[in-house]
Amino acid sequence: MMEVEEGNFDEAYDVYACMQCGKCTGSCAVSLRSDLNIRELMRIAILNKNEDLEKHEEIWDCTSCGICTVRCPRDLKPAEVIIGMRSSLVEGGTIPVTVRDALESVGTNNNPWGRPKSKRAEWLEDLDVKVKNISEGEEAEYLLYIGCTASYDPRIQSVSRAAINVLTKLGVDFGILGEEEPCCGSEPRMMGETGLFEMLVEDNLTLFDEFGISKIITLSPHAYNTFVNDYPECAKRLKEDDVEIPDIELEVKHYTQFLEELIDDGRLDGEMMNEFSGTVIYHDPCYLGKRNNIFEPPRKILNIIPGARCIEFDRREDRSLCCEGGGGRMWAEGTGTGERNAIIRVNDANQDGANVIAVACPFCLSTLEDAHVTAGYEETMRVMDIFEILDEVLK
Amino acid sequence: MTVYILAEHRRGELMDVTFESISAARRLNDEVVAILLGTDLADHAEKVAKYADKVLVVEDERIENNTEAYTQVIGEIIKKDKPKVFLMGNTSMGMDIAPALAIDLDSPIATDVVGISEEGGRIKVNRSVYNGKVLSDLVLREAETSVIAIRSGEFSAADLEEKNGEITKVDSPLKETIENKKFLEFVEPVAGAVDITQADVLISVGRGIKDKDNLPMAEELADAVGGVVSCSRPVVDYDWLPKDRQVGTSGKTVKPKFYLAFGISGAFQHVAGMKGATMIVAINKDIKAPIFSVAQYGIVDDLLKVMPALTEKIKELKS
Repeated sequence: MMEVEEGNFDEAYDVYACMQCGKCTGSCAVSLRSDLNIRELMRIAILNKNEDLEKHEEIWDCTSCGICTVRCPRDLKPAEVIIGMRSSLVEGGTIPVTVRDALESVGTNNNPWGRPKSKRAEWLEDLDVKVKNISEGEEAEYLLYIGCTASYDPRIQSVSRAAINVLTKLGVDFGILGEEEPCCGSEPRMMGETGLFEMLVEDNLTLFDEFGISKIITLSPHAYNTFVNDYPECAKRLKEDDVEIPDIELEVKHYTQFLEELIDDGRLDGEMMNEFSGTVIYHDPCYLGKRNNIFEPPRKILNIIPGARCIEFDRREDRSLCCEGGGGRMWAEGTGTGERNAIIRVNDANQDGANVIAVACPFCLSTLEDAHVTAGYEETMRVMDIFEILDEVLK
Repeated sequence: MTVYILAEHRRGELMDVTFESISAARRLNDEVVAILLGTDLADHAEKVAKYADKVLVVEDERIENNTEAYTQVIGEIIKKDKPKVFLMGNTSMGMDIAPALAIDLDSPIATDVVGISEEGGRIKVNRSVYNGKVLSDLVLREAETSVIAIRSGEFSAADLEEKNGEITKVDSPLKETIENKKFLEFVEPVAGAVDITQADVLISVGRGIKDKDNLPMAEELADAVGGVVSCSRPVVDYDWLPKDRQVGTSGKTVKPKFYLAFGISGAFQHVAGMKGATMIVAINKDIKAPIFSVAQYGIVDDLLKVMPALTEKIKELKS
C-alpha cells in the first residue's frame, strides 16, 4: 500500500477527483525529454497500484516546478503527489545513490552539498564591508537568509557577496547567521524526505525564535517558498502531534519583493545607479512565478536600471520554461535525453537578442550559467543574478 | 609455529591474492600452510604447493562457493592445528569469512591489512584509516590464533621462494550440508560497464575535449597510466560518453588516488563529486577556471597539446 507520512494517499492528495485529462503531462517541463508522465502517476495513485513504484525511475525527473498544479482544472496537486511517491520510496530505501548522499549530508552537515558546516561562511572572507552576525548576538531588523547553494557554490557565492554590498549601500539593517545558518529544507522536502523536513522545521523555528528573528529576506525563491508555504502547514501538523514548536510569525520576503518595497518607498531609484549597458532578458524562476505568482518585483527592479534594455521571453511568467534545477535535480540527473531546458532557454535568449540573462534564483543561475557556456555563448552573453547587476551599477 | 593461509579460487581460477597471502605470511618467517577447499583441486594444489611449505586439500562439493561452509571447515582445521596466524585476502570472500571466523575462534582480527610484522612475539599490522589518509600500526593481543585479512595487491608475490611443499588430503570436517546459505550463480557485470568509482586513476574530460573524435586520445592516456576515462556533464549531454562516466553531484562521486581533469572548468556540482581525490591535476586553457582552486597542480594550456605529450612521456618512462 502506498503510505505517506501525513496519512493515506487518497486522503492526503484527493486523487479521486482526478479525471485523467492529461493537462498535467501536457504542460510538464520535462515530459518532452523524459518518460515522466504525471497523468500516469496520478492513475497509479488512484488505483493504489503502487507496488511497482520503484520501477518508475522517472519519478526523480520531476523538477517540482509546479506547472501541473497550476494547470490542473480540478485544483489538485499532482506535484505534491510526486513528492508523496518519492516519500514512499525514501521510506523503502530505494532511491538514487546521489539523492541518498544529498539527504544524508543535510542530516550530518546541514547542507545537501556534502560540504562541512564549518565552511558555510567562507564566502564572507573576500568582503570589504562588515556584516552583522545574528548568531553572535548582534541585533538586526532582517535576517538575510543565504541558503546552502549560495553559501558553498563558488559561482553563486558571488550573489551572496553582491547581496551584502547592495543591502549595505541601501542602508538596510540586516544580519546573517554565518556558520549557524541551517538548511531551509526545501530540497529535502521535494526529494521526499518528509521526516528530515519536519525535523528542520522544528529546529529552524526554534533557532529563529532563540535569536529573535521574525523578518527574513531570502536569496532563493526555494527558501522563500518553503518558509512561506510549507513551514506554517508543517508546524501546525507538528503541534497537533504535541511537538513543542515556538509560536512565531515569520515575515518572509524574497529579495526582489523587498527591493520593490524600497523602490516604492523612494529608497532605491535609477539616480543611484551608473549606466548599465546591455539587453536584459528576465528568466522567471518557477518558485517565484508558478508557485507564488510573483512576477512584477524583479521586472520593476530591472526597469529602473538606467541603460538596461529589458526584453521578454516568449515563454514567461507562469509559462516560463523551467531550468530543471529544482526538485532535487541538482542531485539526480534523471532519465531524460536530448537537449536540456537550460540550453533551450539560452538559445531562446540569444535569438531574442539578449546579452544578459537576469535570474533571481541560485539554481537558475547554476543551470543557465552552465548552459550558456555549453551552447557557446561564453563570449557574447552573461548570466547574472539581479543582485549582481545591482552591485555592478549602484554608485 | 605456523601461518595458515586460504588459497582462494573462483570459477576454476586461482586468485592472485592466494600468492600474495603466502608472500604476507613469509614476512613472519614461519612455515606457511595453505588451505584449499572445494572440488577439482588437483591443479590448484600443485600450483600452490610450489610456494607453500604444505597444502591441505579438502575435497567436498558441499564447500564449493559456500562461505558458510568455508568458515566452518577452516574453523575446524584451525581448532585442531592451532596455527599462530590465519591469513587470507580482504576480498569479498575474505570480508565474509574472516570476521565470522574470528568470532567463532574468539580470535583478534585485523582486516584490510597493508603491512605485517612480528614484534617481540606479537603480531603487528599496518592498516589505513580515515579513508586512506592515515596509516595506523596495531599490535594484536596475545591469542592462540590471530586472523588477518590482507588488502589485495599490497603484498607482491613476484619474488616468492620455491618450496615445493607436500600436498596432504584431509577428510572434510564439515558436519552437515549448509542449508541456510546456498550458492545460486555468478552474475557477470554488464560487458563494457566501467565503474569509475572503483578506479585509482581517472582521466576526466570536459567540454575542452571539443570533439568526440578526440576521445581516443584520452583512452590512450588512460591505458598508458592504467586508468579509466570519466567526464563532466556536458560530455554526457553531447552523447560522447555514457552517463555512468559522469562525475558530479548528479552523476558519481569519486575518490581516486589521482584525478586528471582535462578541459573541465570545475563547476561546483562537478567539483563536489571529485574533491575527495588524493591528487588532482587540472589542465585548462583558462587560467581563471575554478578547477585550479581545488587542484594541487595545474597546467594552463590546450589539452589537445598536453594530453598526447603526456601519453608519450608515460609510455617512454614505462618502456
